[in-house]
Amino acid sequence: MTFVATIRVLPKAEVRDPQGEAVRGALRSLGLAVSDVRTGKEIVVTFDAADEAAAREAVRVMGNELLANPVIEDYAYELREGVPA
Amino acid sequence: MTRVAILRYPGTWSERDFQHALSLVPGVESDILWHEDVDLAGYDAAVVPGGFTYGDYVRAGAIAKISPATRELRRFADAGKIVLGSCNGFQILCEAGLLPGAMLRNEGLRFVCRDVFLRVESKRTPFTLAINKGDVLRMPIAHGDGNWTAERRVYEELISKDQVVFRYVKPDGSRGEGGNPNGSLDDVAGICNVKGNIVGLMPHPERACEELLGGTDGARLFKSFATTRMAMQGA
Repeated sequence: MTFVATIRVLPKAEVRDPQGEAVRGALRSLGLAVSDVRTGKEIVVTFDAADEAAAREAVRVMGNELLANPVIEDYAYELREGVPA
Repeated sequence: MTRVAILRYPGTWSERDFQHALSLVPGVESDILWHEDVDLAGYDAAVVPGGFTYGDYVRAGAIAKISPATRELRRFADAGKIVLGSCNGFQILCEAGLLPGAMLRNEGLRFVCRDVFLRVESKRTPFTLAINKGDVLRMPIAHGDGNWTAERRVYEELISKDQVVFRYVKPDGSRGEGGNPNGSLDDVAGICNVKGNIVGLMPHPERACEELLGGTDGARLFKSFATTRMAMQGA
């Protein structure tokens, strides 16, 4: 089966995010009342797996082994069926 | 002869600088190994040089940890052999879990390319054994993601086990405003693992081995390494 995982990686709450701070400053200079900004990334992966359980396990491997660094980042994901390539 | 393997991943750029720096140390010879052909049998030490391996995609050093070269490096380090990672090499060692902590973007968000001053905080690595604790070394940095950090509990353990090897200081050797170029936790510039055989630092010692290029403080790390190797071989 083909799946599409949308994985969101964000810095952990206790980790400083200098990029977020820079974006906060820039948004405030646009005149917006922005109090906090956290920046991360979204990665969309299309892949094959036997079933949904296997797909979730694959996403866990992606998140834990490469896409997020567990020392400084958390990840969350959404999974749906996709169209084969 | 002490034999050093210098690992080259796609995007490594300091491998020839390291080979040149090591060629200046009597009794040391080095080979540059492409990451797909890394067999560390017969080597005494391995170097992971600086660069932008895999374009720093995902995170600096993240994709390199999956290369077979890194698996071989892990076996080599577990066997107690010596590993040195500089700049992207330090990032790769942290990503691979061979050293604790992780790198964040520099606090000022700028890529910083200038000389810094490092104070030697620990003598318990081959690269600092022959240097005095408290000595101040001057060498260049060139990085955008050198802001090393660790969870509090992990850092407290590092301190208790004497794993902080270098700290950023002001030219006079004191801590404080202006010494730290990237905001790293507690001004940490380099660390080692518990055993002391794996060392990572953000600065480039291989670029401070020629007076013509601004200084030779980096050479002191390699001389210390060669001296400790010769002492071990003689024992």
